[in-house]
Amino acid sequence: MRGIYIVGGYPDRDAFRQRFADVCEAGFDFVEIGIPFNDPLADGPVIAGAQLEAVRAGITAETVAEDLRRLVNYPVRKYIMTYANIVYSTGMRRFSDMFGGVVDGIIIADLPNRMRDLFFGQGLCIPVIPFATLESRESDIEAAARSEADFIYFVGLRGITGSTADFSSPEMKEKVASIRRATSKKIVIGFGVKGPADASSALGLGDGYVIGTEAVRRQNDPVEFRKYLSVLAG
Amino acid sequence: MEPVKGFYGEFGGQFIPETLVPALDELEAAFENFRRDDNMLRELELFLKNYAGRPTPVYFARNLSRRYGVNIYLKREDLLHTGAHKINNTLGQALLARHMGKRRIIAETGAGQHGVATATVAALFGFECTVYMGSVDVERQMPNVKKMRLLGANVVPVEDGLKTLKDAVSAALKDWVATVKTTHYLLGSVTGPHPFPHIVACFQAVAGREARGYFEELGFLPDAVVACVGGGSNAMGIFQGFMDAKTVELVGVEAGGISMNQGGHSATLTAGNRGIFQGTLSYLLQNENCQVNDVHSVSAGLDYPGVGPQHAYLRDSGRVRYTSVSDRHALRAFRDLTVNEGIIPALESSHALAHVIENAASYGGKNVLVHLSGRGDKDLGIIEKQNMEDL
Repeated sequence: MRGIYIVGGYPDRDAFRQRFADVCEAGFDFVEIGIPFNDPLADGPVIAGAQLEAVRAGITAETVAEDLRRLVNYPVRKYIMTYANIVYSTGMRRFSDMFGGVVDGIIIADLPNRMRDLFFGQGLCIPVIPFATLESRESDIEAAARSEADFIYFVGLRGITGSTADFSSPEMKEKVASIRRATSKKIVIGFGVKGPADASSALGLGDGYVIGTEAVRRQNDPVEFRKYLSVLAG
Repeated sequence: MEPVKGFYGEFGGQFIPETLVPALDELEAAFENFRRDDNMLRELELFLKNYAGRPTPVYFARNLSRRYGVNIYLKREDLLHTGAHKINNTLGQALLARHMGKRRIIAETGAGQHGVATATVAALFGFECTVYMGSVDVERQMPNVKKMRLLGANVVPVEDGLKTLKDAVSAALKDWVATVKTTHYLLGSVTGPHPFPHIVACFQAVAGREARGYFEELGFLPDAVVACVGGGSNAMGIFQGFMDAKTVELVGVEAGGISMNQGGHSATLTAGNRGIFQGTLSYLLQNENCQVNDVHSVSAGLDYPGVGPQHAYLRDSGRVRYTSVSDRHALRAFRDLTVNEGIIPALESSHALAHVIENAASYGGKNVLVHLSGRGDKDLGIIEKQNMEDL
């Protein structure tokens, strides 16, 4: 499962839809679309900066949903990524109505696994992708495995998006192995995957990867963006 | 107020990256040990007494009382070492950090009071210390920045967003995600993910206990207890002492800034709605697109779009009444206390006093306890820029 993260509505709505199409045409399996939030705790300067620009330009959950409805026929899996307040304050049911049938799941960066049931209880009916991290204990991994979602999102480093991960560390290998022991769900590695070398390490360890910062860095430059995708596609 | 599974009614919880979950569990377990360990509690008590200067007095402000026709009592947290209530919490959490074997502490700060209190305990216990502070606050609270640096802390100016408290909290949380193995995040208010609101409220409760004891000795309880609310730690400290006394009205005073229009104030409980922000489900100043609003206050310690979850609960349950006063009224109260009583208050605490002064008619003849959470030396730079004659 190879995926690319891009910020919804950035640098503008037309360009965003074009970048989405670029990712599909380059043969990736899924696109992760960020609904921008202006206090993005898990994001480094590149992604946070793009989100702030998008927020200032008036991009909302509603506009991202509209754009995704226009992209629904692309044969690629679609996941949205955002922050808890966007879902909570939009309203669980309204949010589910906006994105239900349009996306395959949602990644909420500040919603740890133990808080998922609160959102489901309030009416969220989109699968929430569970996390595993380098800090996860066995009980955390078991909790992540008890999920209806397609895959487990493995956060490959301690830190924010755009930081550097060490895919050869024994700690990383052991953690991925312990997730394998607990579940047959696919493991997608995010955070710290920057280029082809990292991507192939991630594929060697898990079942997939998602690249965020390096894609978003090029999201406002169509030529550089497509060039980057083709390098990744090998 | 004990949380149930990390919640106060519908408020609270843990809304942070998954990476931090084990650290929050470790902290919660360490705190529960701490609360049951007589040796550690005794050690904290000794530090509070001999190092921080507890107990602090309750002072009857005779001149102000005569002037406004209200019996005004002040809980003098401004007399504590480092100049504010923040030291109650930093001493407690420093002992917790030592108990957990952490060698480095990080903190956010707005007015710099929590930053100074953190840098102080870092010097005392030999921790490495980094304090995040919005660059606007670095500028307007320079005396505190100089103190932190003298104490050996690394003060990192944060250039994101409005460059104030909200941005400092984000920067501290981002540091913590990366350093969680070795670092304790010494959060300064009753905000953030569980168990922080619970821990900070417990460490601040000492002010309420002392004030309650003072009034019981006098043989009566105050008619009202008034405290300023930014994140809400000083207010939680004093309110807890009177929570069960239903005849005592509890009033939280937020920063009304320059106007109640979006961006002109930071009165979260007065003008906000439910939202999830920096780790907790509480009230939040946000726009119709669920984005966090810009906020303003003349006081760097109140300049925050969120508020602690206990306050959200107390607001909805009706036990505490929340209101706001403007920058201008706070500055007038600052001047009043200074020239009439010879006490220079922090601009934060001046908001609490301003509420009483502005509503003197309705408090006429009553006994009102104002929580004087800090002193105003740090604010002289801001005061110099105001035209005090105009007030």
